[in-house]
Amino acid sequence: MRAFGDVWRSNIFQKWVMATTGLLLVLFLVGHLSGNLLMFLGPMHMNEYGHSLREMLHGSAIWVVRGGLLLSFILHIWSAIVLTRRNRMARPDKYVKTSTLTSTLASRSMALSGLLMLVYVLYHLAHFTFGGVHAQFYAGQTGWEYVLADGTVVPDVYKMVLLSFREPLITVLYLISMVLLGMHLSHAVASVFQTLGVTNKRITPVIKIAGPLLGIGLALGFCSVPISIIVGLVH
Amino acid sequence: MNLRLHIWRQAGPDAAGMLKTYDVANVSEHMSFLEMLDVLNEDLISKNEIPIAFDHDCREGICGTCGMVINGRPHGPVAKTTVCQLHMRTYKDGDEIYIEPWRARAFPVMRDLIVDRSSFDRIIQTGGFVSVNTGNAQDGNAIPISKKHADHAMDAAACIGCGACVAACPNSSAMLFTAAKIGHLGALPQGQAERSTRAMHMVMQMDAEGFGACSNHLECEAACPKGISVEFIAQMNRDYIASALGGKD
Amino acid sequence: MELNSNIPDGQLQQKWDEYRAHLKLVNPANKRKYNVIVVGTGLAGASAAATLAELGYNVSAFTYHDSARRAHSIAAQGGINAAKNYQNDGDSTWRLFYDTIKGGDFRARESNVYRLAQVSTSIIDQCVAQGVPFAREYGGYLSNRSFGGAQVSRTFYARGQTGQQLLIGAYQALMRQVGLGNVKLHNKQEMMDLIVVDGHARGIVSRDMVTGKIESFMADAVVLATGGYGNVFYLSTNAKKCNVTATYRAHKRGALFANPCYTQIHPTCIPQSGDYQSKLTLMSESLRNDGRIWVPKQKGDMRSPDQIPESDRDYYLERKYPSFGNLSPRDIASRAAKEACDNGLGVGPSGLGVYLDFSDAIARLGRDVVADRYGNLFEMYERITGEDPYKVPMRIYPAVHYTMGGLWVDYDLMSNVPGLFVLGEANFSDHGANRLGASALMQGLADGYFVIPYTLGGYFASGSLSPVSSESPEARTAVKEAEEKVKLLLSIDGKRSPTSFHRELGSIMWDKCGMARSEKGLTEALQRIPELREEFWENVKIPGAGAELNQSLELGLRVADFLEFGELMCFDALHRNESCGGHFREEYQTEDGEALRNDDDFCYAAAWEYTGVGSKPTLHKEKLEFENVQLATRSYK
Repeated sequence: MRAFGDVWRSNIFQKWVMATTGLLLVLFLVGHLSGNLLMFLGPMHMNEYGHSLREMLHGSAIWVVRGGLLLSFILHIWSAIVLTRRNRMARPDKYVKTSTLTSTLASRSMALSGLLMLVYVLYHLAHFTFGGVHAQFYAGQTGWEYVLADGTVVPDVYKMVLLSFREPLITVLYLISMVLLGMHLSHAVASVFQTLGVTNKRITPVIKIAGPLLGIGLALGFCSVPISIIVGLVH
Repeated sequence: MNLRLHIWRQAGPDAAGMLKTYDVANVSEHMSFLEMLDVLNEDLISKNEIPIAFDHDCREGICGTCGMVINGRPHGPVAKTTVCQLHMRTYKDGDEIYIEPWRARAFPVMRDLIVDRSSFDRIIQTGGFVSVNTGNAQDGNAIPISKKHADHAMDAAACIGCGACVAACPNSSAMLFTAAKIGHLGALPQGQAERSTRAMHMVMQMDAEGFGACSNHLECEAACPKGISVEFIAQMNRDYIASALGGKD
Repeated sequence: MELNSNIPDGQLQQKWDEYRAHLKLVNPANKRKYNVIVVGTGLAGASAAATLAELGYNVSAFTYHDSARRAHSIAAQGGINAAKNYQNDGDSTWRLFYDTIKGGDFRARESNVYRLAQVSTSIIDQCVAQGVPFAREYGGYLSNRSFGGAQVSRTFYARGQTGQQLLIGAYQALMRQVGLGNVKLHNKQEMMDLIVVDGHARGIVSRDMVTGKIESFMADAVVLATGGYGNVFYLSTNAKKCNVTATYRAHKRGALFANPCYTQIHPTCIPQSGDYQSKLTLMSESLRNDGRIWVPKQKGDMRSPDQIPESDRDYYLERKYPSFGNLSPRDIASRAAKEACDNGLGVGPSGLGVYLDFSDAIARLGRDVVADRYGNLFEMYERITGEDPYKVPMRIYPAVHYTMGGLWVDYDLMSNVPGLFVLGEANFSDHGANRLGASALMQGLADGYFVIPYTLGGYFASGSLSPVSSESPEARTAVKEAEEKVKLLLSIDGKRSPTSFHRELGSIMWDKCGMARSEKGLTEALQRIPELREEFWENVKIPGAGAELNQSLELGLRVADFLEFGELMCFDALHRNESCGGHFREEYQTEDGEALRNDDDFCYAAAWEYTGVGSKPTLHKEKLEFENVQLATRSYK
């Protein structure tokens, strides 16, 4: 039997790691988006939701999720670096003339879109989670308390989001990032199924269409909030 | 028709190569692409120049010996066609054509358009077979194999080992070649005994040869002269992960 | 020289069993002490190398390809015969034997052919076990189709790629042995000479086609499985690299060359389209199962085929040979096509073509069934000609396809040079003067999987061999001669390319020693070939150097041998004053143009001994004894 190290180093296993972590991240995004859409229901729902996330399982759930996300991110990025390096090394001499048939801009720029997504995520965390940038909109600052129906005082997440996206610069940065996310996912989702080997004559044609749709749909969903804010639909 | 060709010339494995331009005149539309190069080579010999080295043999699209990248496409622009079966009626007067060898670390250039594909042989050597010595066999009809499975095995077994999949893949990955063999033998009852070890060993060798990973661009399937489906790659992924996580090899 | 074919005693049916029962064996522990060189990795070579390695011999396999999977066996489309009688249609070992003997026009050795028919069934079993995806019926059982020259359905197939699948099976078995370290594989090595020490074949001289290095490899036996010589005609259905060099160099070292004039012209090839044509493409004869061959009844009928009504068509095979019809043997179908074209009834731009029409089959079976059976052949035809055979009848014309002649071998497949074994198309053994469809794959694999593993052991066990080394004078001389030959070729620096000589030789051979031969034509050829050869050695132009990958040099070396070999073929064709199978002499035909055999004077294998370049070879005759079949005039009417 092969040592696990050999298996771990193999291209297919690295791809498997990338696909499974990618799948977890996509599932997270689905949850994240459903939370975001509460913006359309007003401050009470949004802030209750934020509070419930922090209180779930006596506050431990959020840390479990955060830990899982962090690990997924690290593994996803790790495998991306390993595979990208190997793929580049596999063709030291390039073609003078190139032509492609089935690959897409999205599939060829996964590394780049992934890298930009990483930058975005760090910025996004600094913005909404830690208040490291745009601190003037940070929900945790004094004076931004919101009182829930049961009297609990929580940070006003709704206000944070609303005021942030009234800044055109922030909105543009987010929208660009969501375009990149949509691109990344439009290749990634269907690719996950191929890499995990979840294919057959019936489901593969569905996945080929549903995969990009899901990716682009997620990105559009995320865009809907800042766009609605900046055009004044949410206020 | 008259054509302008830009052809990769490289004197040997360690020599530096470059594109050289040749004008060819009076090309007949009924010629095959290789016959067009034959005519050019005859002309070069008469001019005391070294003819262009390119590999070829059966010239009927089955031996897998020929292969070159034409305007960025392995075996040229026509789907499911090896370059020996590509005919000049595909081109028109005045066309400019770039001809380059397969490009991959695992396929070093030996001369001009000829590359060394012995890495494919080494992948097969690690597991691309059924371990049955001559004389072991039972009657051919002893195990019925449904037409569906036999056809599926044949779809994969149609691989000619030309390497176009590697040439087409932006990552120079040999996944389609390796998956075709794993898929062929995996579809048959005779291939089951070694299924797990086969996937493990062949994938390991494929990596060791320096082929890239699969990014699911699916360029290999589009370039394959036998139209082998990437579905076999998905199956190889399944077999490999089952072998790796099951610890059965 | 006394030719001893070493046929075992006993009844035909028992010969092979008796032979094996009394065979001297090599102790398993001793097998690895024997080194065997196998040249060629086609069906015969790969299957032999793999099987010998499985037995424990130390095998070195040589191929001029970049991979052992590329040999021209791969191009066989139609199928492989075996006397399984799965169809319950009356097949048997005897019937396969008889069909093969009769198809070969009674010019093959009974004992070898019977053994071939006997082991045919094991080949199918072995290939199935290897994972060869033969076509299956819905119930899961092996499917059969019928083929020319037989009235039973005994041909196993894998779509239109049977040769490929069988070769890949043998290649995989070989790769397994390479992986296990039992076979040392030498890719991109071309055999240049045979090394004979004390009268025994003990090694080869080989050129590394990448570095140009010429060196000797020594062994206890040499197995040649280097295919046929159809490319002497320049245009043939053979792959471009196919050549006679290995067998011809062995011939020059003393091995007799038998029946070189027996060449098979395949009836279903795509007609030539221009002078630049580099090769001809064959389409499987299986097409004749459902396709109907015809020409217009009127000379110069320029109507498109769909405009020609039934009444104006001549389905000449069905008319002349009602019981076999479109499935008449290859030589008969080819000559009938030539006759039609010679009479001015040919179709297509060159007038060298006949129609192969599937419209009836499509009407009867439906397009899907036809596509399932012949889809890839139809695609291939369309790729080459730009015409869609589902709509327009195919145009076909005969082309050189297979060579029945080869090095003379005895029952053990050993040539008259002890230790030199010859398998597959390279030997002369099983097909007589004409080979039946789907029998080449059968013979290649029979020789490699089931014959040589026994007979080679018998050779080793029955005598002792002294050690040899690359330093032996014979080896050093052979290497030196090969090096000088390369040097000489490169130094000529003339005006003509090797291809131009090859093409000219080919046209001489096709005109004078092709589908129909005559004393006059052959005598002319025997005059022109030496002239051409002389010019070659004065005026050939081979650019580049010897110590590098040099395809012009490779070709030059092969053409040099073809230029000598072509003469040998013509000598053989000229001496054989009869028509039989693939050898049709215009002087010897019946009133209605059928081949006229002469059993009284020519019922022998003609084995030629080399006597020097340009000098007439010496003829040795192996008389063919037919104890079990009646020599009959072949009739497919």
